[in-house]
Amino acid sequence: EGKMLTNISTVLRACAQRNIQVANFIRPFFFTCLKKSDVFKLDEAPATEVVMTRDEGLQYYRTMQTMRRMELKADQLYKQKIIRGFCHLYDGQEACAVGIEASIKPTDHLITAYRAHGYTLTRGGTVKEIMAELTGRRGGIAKGKGGSMHMYCKNFYGGNGIVGAQVGCRSLSV
Amino acid sequence: MATSLKCLLRSGKEAAAAPAVGDANRDLAAIQVTVRDALNQALDEELERDERVFLLGEEVAQYDGAYKMGFTGIAVGAAMAGLRPICEFMTFNFSMQAIDQVINSAAKTYYMSAGQQPVPIVFRGPNGASAGVAAQHSQCFAAWYAHCPGLKVVSPWNAEDARGLLKTAIRDDNPVVFLENELMYGVPFEMSEESLSKDFTIPIGKAKIERQGAHITLVSHSRMVGHCLDAAAVLAKEGIDCEVINLRTIRPLDVECIEGSVMKTNHLVTVEGGWPQFGVGAEICARVMEGSAFNYLDAPVTRVTGVDIPMPYAKILEDNSVPQIKDIIFSVKKTLGV
Repeated sequence: EGKMLTNISTVLRACAQRNIQVANFIRPFFFTCLKKSDVFKLDEAPATEVVMTRDEGLQYYRTMQTMRRMELKADQLYKQKIIRGFCHLYDGQEACAVGIEASIKPTDHLITAYRAHGYTLTRGGTVKEIMAELTGRRGGIAKGKGGSMHMYCKNFYGGNGIVGAQVGCRSLSV
Repeated sequence: MATSLKCLLRSGKEAAAAPAVGDANRDLAAIQVTVRDALNQALDEELERDERVFLLGEEVAQYDGAYKMGFTGIAVGAAMAGLRPICEFMTFNFSMQAIDQVINSAAKTYYMSAGQQPVPIVFRGPNGASAGVAAQHSQCFAAWYAHCPGLKVVSPWNAEDARGLLKTAIRDDNPVVFLENELMYGVPFEMSEESLSKDFTIPIGKAKIERQGAHITLVSHSRMVGHCLDAAAVLAKEGIDCEVINLRTIRPLDVECIEGSVMKTNHLVTVEGGWPQFGVGAEICARVMEGSAFNYLDAPVTRVTGVDIPMPYAKILEDNSVPQIKDIIFSVKKTLGV
């Protein structure tokens, strides 16, 4: 996450230094630090170079910030006992969810363990739905019936409370 | 984990040491002991009494599904090799992952080996609904385990039950599933001097009549026993005299006690926290119907159970998904036709 922020700020600083109108600046950033993978019965290996545009970078940052603030608020609510039972927070791991979502399509399938708030947000849940679920309200993403660990979206299979349960469940597990 | 466990046990020992100091001038009033302390004391004493007894289990779940199968399997193997393990689950919901070890390796072995290979193991942990832990952590496993031949299943209610039954379970040569209740851990109960002695055991397979009554029998186990007693207190003011039975053991079921009570009161209500279908209440109904007590029933048996849904998270939904005192009162009045 730190590296991502450094890279983004490097890009933005570079724009400022060159005195170019930021609104028209669309020079993308090349990530070339990806390792080359060995392949087995595949025609193509995964790419070793990916491109992130400024707009994408800002979008990722915005999502991560939203996630961070949402989780910190959830932390507060949990300590006030407004959120009950379990509450496994995702602050600190935001880059994982955002990074994964950046590399998959919305039609890909994703499943995770109990630390699910971040993925719920990236997979299509709104902050309002997530917070409503955590506080047990009808407007929650699972109508208040699931709680922290049992949030679901299209192509997102939760949220699994029993450790290791998600591994056997689906082919793409995170 | 070992260090924290030793601390736990030490504190339990200190709690046990206090009342044992024989002071002639000391008030003979019974001591207040929480269920948690009673369990720890019992564990401590049994660990000391027999060096083959040891504890293992799940303190903090790690990211590896096989972990649970792993330590349960190790425990069963140790039992087969001659040790006497006490295998602790964080909650019995996690035992579902390890249930193959509990049933196939522990429960069936003595029979499959024609008596050659006993498995003297105790599986213990919190069972049933807690507070706000939602569907995957709130299931009651009493009916699931009680279904299986080869297992003994006990479900204590108060501190005395917890202490006596745990001691008996550890000393028993059979696999015993010991269903505790998380919400009961912190509840203090009065314990007599006798129940605090080192060799205090409660026999497995014997229920206890917690409250004598004449009009209707309430049969229950674990936390619901407390609810039944509260309901009985409320009903007593209306002139309805309830007999409350604390099952203590789910398998083998103390049918004699239930039948004896039904023959006296002619009405029966079963109360449990678990789901209704194929549950503890269902078994009690079947047994009563099959036995001689059936002819003494003046009305069909009513089962008060948890709602037949996965436990919801929202508090208002959760509260209404487990039997409340008002549900028991309603069922008693319905059964009595008042």
